[in-house]
Amino acid sequence: MQSILSRSIKGPIGLIVSILVLIVIFSILNPRFGSIENLQNVLYQASVPLIVVVGATLVIQMGSIDLSVEGVMGASGMAWILLSPNTRHALDLGPWAWVIAIGLGLGLGLLSGLVHAKLKVPSFVVTLGTWYVGLGIAILLYGNGMLPSLTSEALARWPSRLSLGLPNSFWLAAVVILGGILASNYTGFGRGVLAVGNNETIARGGGMAVDRIKIAAFTVAGCLSGLAGILATMQLGSGSPDIGFGQLFTVIPAAVIAGTALGGGEGGVLRSILGVFLLIILNNGLVLAGVDPDFQSGVFGAILIVAIVAVAWPTRGALKVAK
Amino acid sequence: MTYELANSSDFPAEKRRAKGIAPMKAFRQFAAWHTIAPPLVFFAMLLVVGIFNPNYLGPFGISIVAATAAPILLVAVGQAMVLNIGSIDLSNAAISMLGAILLALWVPQLGVAGILGVLVLMTLVGALNGFVLAHTQVPSFALTLGTLGILQTAALVISDSQTIYLTQNRELVTAFYNTSLAFVPLTFWIGVLVAVAYWVLLRFTVVGQNMTAVGKNESGAILSAVPHRRIKTITFAVSGFTGAVAGLCIVAQGGSASASGLGSNLLLPGIAAALVGGTSISGGLTNPLNVIFGALTVAFVPIAIQALGFSAQAQSLVYGIFIILVVALTTTRTRGLVIK
Repeated sequence: MQSILSRSIKGPIGLIVSILVLIVIFSILNPRFGSIENLQNVLYQASVPLIVVVGATLVIQMGSIDLSVEGVMGASGMAWILLSPNTRHALDLGPWAWVIAIGLGLGLGLLSGLVHAKLKVPSFVVTLGTWYVGLGIAILLYGNGMLPSLTSEALARWPSRLSLGLPNSFWLAAVVILGGILASNYTGFGRGVLAVGNNETIARGGGMAVDRIKIAAFTVAGCLSGLAGILATMQLGSGSPDIGFGQLFTVIPAAVIAGTALGGGEGGVLRSILGVFLLIILNNGLVLAGVDPDFQSGVFGAILIVAIVAVAWPTRGALKVAK
Repeated sequence: MTYELANSSDFPAEKRRAKGIAPMKAFRQFAAWHTIAPPLVFFAMLLVVGIFNPNYLGPFGISIVAATAAPILLVAVGQAMVLNIGSIDLSNAAISMLGAILLALWVPQLGVAGILGVLVLMTLVGALNGFVLAHTQVPSFALTLGTLGILQTAALVISDSQTIYLTQNRELVTAFYNTSLAFVPLTFWIGVLVAVAYWVLLRFTVVGQNMTAVGKNESGAILSAVPHRRIKTITFAVSGFTGAVAGLCIVAQGGSASASGLGSNLLLPGIAAALVGGTSISGGLTNPLNVIFGALTVAFVPIAIQALGFSAQAQSLVYGIFIILVVALTTTRTRGLVIK
C-alpha cells in the first residue's frame, strides 16, 4: 500500500497542485462550489468517466487506443434497461440483466482484442469499427418503439442515494478503481500491459503471452464500458443509444493530461483518475462560475494543449520521434 | 542539396524501373493488393447493389452518392496526407466546420475575396497545428484533440450557435453544387482534382517524397537531413487547406452553415474513408487516388444498406463490421511488425 502512495505522490504532483488551484479559484468565484452538495455532485458526475478511464488506461498503457467506449456504453445500457423493469414491457431479469449487459460489453471488447491481436489490425481502426457496431446494436435494440424509462423507483434513485455521505455511483466507481489499481500493480496481467507498451518486441522475445495480454486488456475495457453504460442509463433514468456521448473526449484527454502517454508504457490508473477529477472539476466550476457552455470545449482544448506541451517540453530532443 | 538523388534511389519501384525488370513483375508491384482493393471493394458493392436494385444506379443515384462523398473525400484526402507522415489530424473536420461558417459570414460582403480569405486563414490554422506539433514534439492525437475543442468553441461563438444563411452572392458558392458534369456535381470534381494534385505532390516532388520518408521511418528521415519540422508544418497546412475546401462544399450544398448542421460529423467518416482507401494508420503508405474510392465507398454504404433492404437502423452495425472487414483485408502484415 505504501508503495502505491509514494509512487502516486512522486509522479503527478503538478496535477494535484493544479486541482487544488482550480478548487481555490472556483471557490472564490462562487462560494457554492465548495459546498457539500456540490462536492457530492462532482463525485456523482465523475463516476461514469472514472469507471471508463480504468479500462481506457490499461489499453493506452499498451500503446493501443480504445475508441469504442461510447458505442459499447450505448449497447450495454440499452440491453440493460430493456431487461430491467421499464415502460416498454414487463420483462424483468433482475441481476441477469446486469450479467447480460456487461456480457455484451465483454463480447465487444473481446471482438476488438481478437481482431487487433490475431488479425493484426491497428487498434484505432478496430475500435472505430466496434464503436459503430456497439452503436448499431443499441439502435437496433431501441427500434421504433417508445422511449424505455425505468419504472423501478429503487433502481432509478440508487445512483444518487447517499451511503456514508457519498453517492452510490461513486462507491461503484471506487470499487472499480480499487480493482484496477490492484490488477495494474500486483498482477502479471497489469505488469504485462506496461511491458507490452514499453517495448512489445522485447516483451514478446522475453516469452510473454503478448496476444493474450492484449485481448485481456481490451476485454476488461469492454466490460468496464458496459458497466459505465448501465450506470449512465440508471443516472438518466431512461435508455438512449447516445448514452455515452462525449465520454471518449473526456476519458482520453483525462488519461493523457495525467501522463499516460499515448505511446504506451507509462502512467497508471491512479493518475488517470486525477485527470478525470481535473476535467470534471473544471467542467463543474466553469458552469458554477457562469461561463457560457459554448466555451467549455475550447477551455478543455486549451488546457489539454498546455498540459501535453508542459509534459513533453523537458524531453524534447533533436532525434525524438513523437507520433 | 542531394534530396532528389537520395529519394529517387530510395524507392524500390523506382530502382526496378531503372533496371528494366520484367513488366510482369512491375505489374505485380503496381497491382499490390492494397493498391487495387479500394476500387475493387467499391465496384463490388456497386455490382451487388446493381443486381439487387438497379434503380439506385441511375444518374440520380450517382449524383446523390457523389454529392454526399464530396466533403468526405476532401476531409479524407487531407487526413490521408497527415496519416502518411505517421500523424493524425483530429481537427480537420472542425476546420471545415469553422471554414464553412466563416464563408457564410464573409462571402455576402466580400465575394471571391471572402473565399480566398477563408482558404488562407484555414491553411494557416493547419500550419500552426503542424508548427506546434513539430517544435514541441507532442503526440498529434492529443494536440489536435485540443485544437478540435478550441475550433468547436470558435465555430459556436462566431456563429452565435445559429444557422447562417448566405444572403448575398449566394450563386457564387452554390454554383459549385448546382453545376453538374456527367451527372456529378462540381464539388465532387473539385475533390477529385485535389486528390490528383496530392498524388502528384507525393509521387513527383521532393516535398512529397520527404513526407513519405518521414512516415516510413521518422528517425531515419531525421538522420538523413530531411527537414522534418518543415515537412510536418506543410503537411498540416495541406490538411487545413483541404478542410477549408470541404467547408466550401458544405456551404455550396446547403447554402448555409451552422456548428451543428450539415458537415458537423465529418471526422470519423473522413478517417474511415482514408483507411478504406488503403491508407496505413501507422504512416508511410497512402494513395490519394484510392482515397477517392474510399470516400465513395463510405458515402455509398448507407445507400447500399437501404438498397439491399436492410432497415435504416442496421446502418451503424453494418458500417462498423464493414470497416473492420475492409481494413482487415487490406492492411499490410509484415512479419515482426509491431501493430499498436
